[in-house]
Amino acid sequence: MKSKISALMDSELDARELHEPLSALGVDGDARETWRTYHLISDALRGGAILSANCAPRVAQRLAQEPALIAPLPSAIRPPERARWFVPSALAASVAAVALVGWVALAPRQGVGPAPAPIAQAPQVERAKQPAQLPLTSAAQDYLIAHQAFSPRNSLQGMAPYVRSVADQAPARKP
Amino acid sequence: MSRAAGALVLWAAAGLAQAQAAPEALDWLRKIYLATEKLSYTGTFVYQQGERTETSRITRRADASGGVERLEVLDGPPREVVRTRDEIRCYLPDSQTVKVDRRRDQRAFPALLPAQASILMEHYSITMDETARIAGFECQAIVLAPKDELRYGYKLWADVQTGMLLKARAFNRAGDAVEQFTFTQLEIGNVPRERLRPRQAARNWRVEQSAVAPANLAEAGWNVHAELPGFHKVVEIRRMLRNAQPVGQVVFSDGLAAISVFIEPIAGRAEPPRIGLATMGAVNVYTREVAEHLVTVVGEAPAASVQRIGNRVEFRQPQ
Repeated sequence: MKSKISALMDSELDARELHEPLSALGVDGDARETWRTYHLISDALRGGAILSANCAPRVAQRLAQEPALIAPLPSAIRPPERARWFVPSALAASVAAVALVGWVALAPRQGVGPAPAPIAQAPQVERAKQPAQLPLTSAAQDYLIAHQAFSPRNSLQGMAPYVRSVADQAPARKP
Repeated sequence: MSRAAGALVLWAAAGLAQAQAAPEALDWLRKIYLATEKLSYTGTFVYQQGERTETSRITRRADASGGVERLEVLDGPPREVVRTRDEIRCYLPDSQTVKVDRRRDQRAFPALLPAQASILMEHYSITMDETARIAGFECQAIVLAPKDELRYGYKLWADVQTGMLLKARAFNRAGDAVEQFTFTQLEIGNVPRERLRPRQAARNWRVEQSAVAPANLAEAGWNVHAELPGFHKVVEIRRMLRNAQPVGQVVFSDGLAAISVFIEPIAGRAEPPRIGLATMGAVNVYTREVAEHLVTVVGEAPAASVQRIGNRVEFRQPQ
C-alpha cells in the first residue's frame, strides 16, 4: 500500500489504479499516517513551508465550511509537474529528512552579518496571494510620520529614523 | 511521522541552545538609550536603503526640559523635522506644508527596564560583537538577532566612551541589510541654541495638526489584533491626517519594532485607494479595503508580518 500511496502522490497512477489507495485513505489509519508522513518529508526536503504536525483536522474543518464546487473531470486536469526525487522506502526518506533538517539547523551560515537563530517553533507562514508592489507615494508620508512617533527606535537613535517619514518620493535616479 | 517529528524537535532544540542574551550586551543597550537622552551633539549621517542613499544632519541640544532635536535632509528637497518636548514639526517644502504631531512617545522604551528586558530577550538574541572605528570613534557592536522570521534583526555600533549610536543596520532573515544609518562626522558637546531653529521660514504654508485623541475601535465594530507573538498593543487613538476625516490608529510593539494599523473611511477621498504593498528600508506599508474602509498597516517588520496583521482586520456592525 505504501508504494501505491507514493505513486499516487507522484501522479503516476491511471484512473483504474486510483481507486484502491484512495479508498484505503478513507478507512485505513495506517494509510493516512503514511500519506501525512510522505507529505511532511516532501515539504522538508523541498524546503517549503513546514506545516504544523496536526494541521489536518483544521484543514478538514475549513473544507467543511467551504461551499461545494463543481469540479472538472480528473482527465481534464493536467497532472502537476513534480520532481522525481521521491524515495520509495519510508525509512530511507525519514533518515534523509533527519539528515537534511539536522544539517540545516547546525550548519554555520556564510556571508556578511550575523546569522539569525533558527526558528524554535515552525511558524505557520502565510503564503497568501502576493499583493501588488506599489511605489511609496506622498500619501504614505502621513502614515509614516504618524507611525514614527511611536517607534521604540527613537529612543536609541533619536530623530534619525524620521528620514524615512519625510523621504523624497521621486524615483531613485540612476548615476 | 514520529521520525520526521523527531527531526523537528532536534531542530527546535538547536534554536533554543542559541537563545541566550549576554548581560553585558543589555547594559550596552541601556547605555545607548541614556546617551540618546543626555548628550548634545551635531553630526552628519547617511541613510541607505536599496540603491538609494541620502545624507542628513542631526543636531540635538539636551536640557532639563527634555531637549530639542533637529533633523535636516541635505540631499534633494530641504526637508526638516524639529522635535521639542511637546511636539514634532515636519517641514515639507515640496507641498509647502508643516505637519504637526503632538509628541506621544515620551522616551518610550520600557523594554530596556531591567524587569522588561526578559520580554525583549524572548524574541531577540542579544549579543556583543566586534569593535570597529566609525567616523573617528571607537565603537562596540551589539547584535539583536530575531528568533523568528516575524521581525528584522539589528546591529548597532555605539561609541565606547559615551554610548552614542554611530551606526545602525536592520537585516532580514538571510542576514542582508534592509537599511543602514551611518554617521560620517559627529561632534559631541555644547550646541548653540540657534542651530536648533528651522531653516524654513514656512510663512503661508499649510499647517496640518494631528489632533490626537484616545479612541476605542472595538466599540465601533473593528477587530484589530497583533496576531504576532511578542507584539502587544501600545496605544489606540483617533487622529487627523491631511486635515481630512479622523483616522483610527492602533500601535503594536515587541519592545523594539512597532507596527501601526490605520483605519479610515474610503468615502470622501480625493483619489481611489491603491491596494498593495510598498517598502521603504525596514518599513513596509500594506493597504487593503475592509467594509468600505481603507486599512493601512505600517511597520518596521518584514512584509509577511505587516500583511498578516492587515489581513486579520475585521469589521462587524456593532449591535
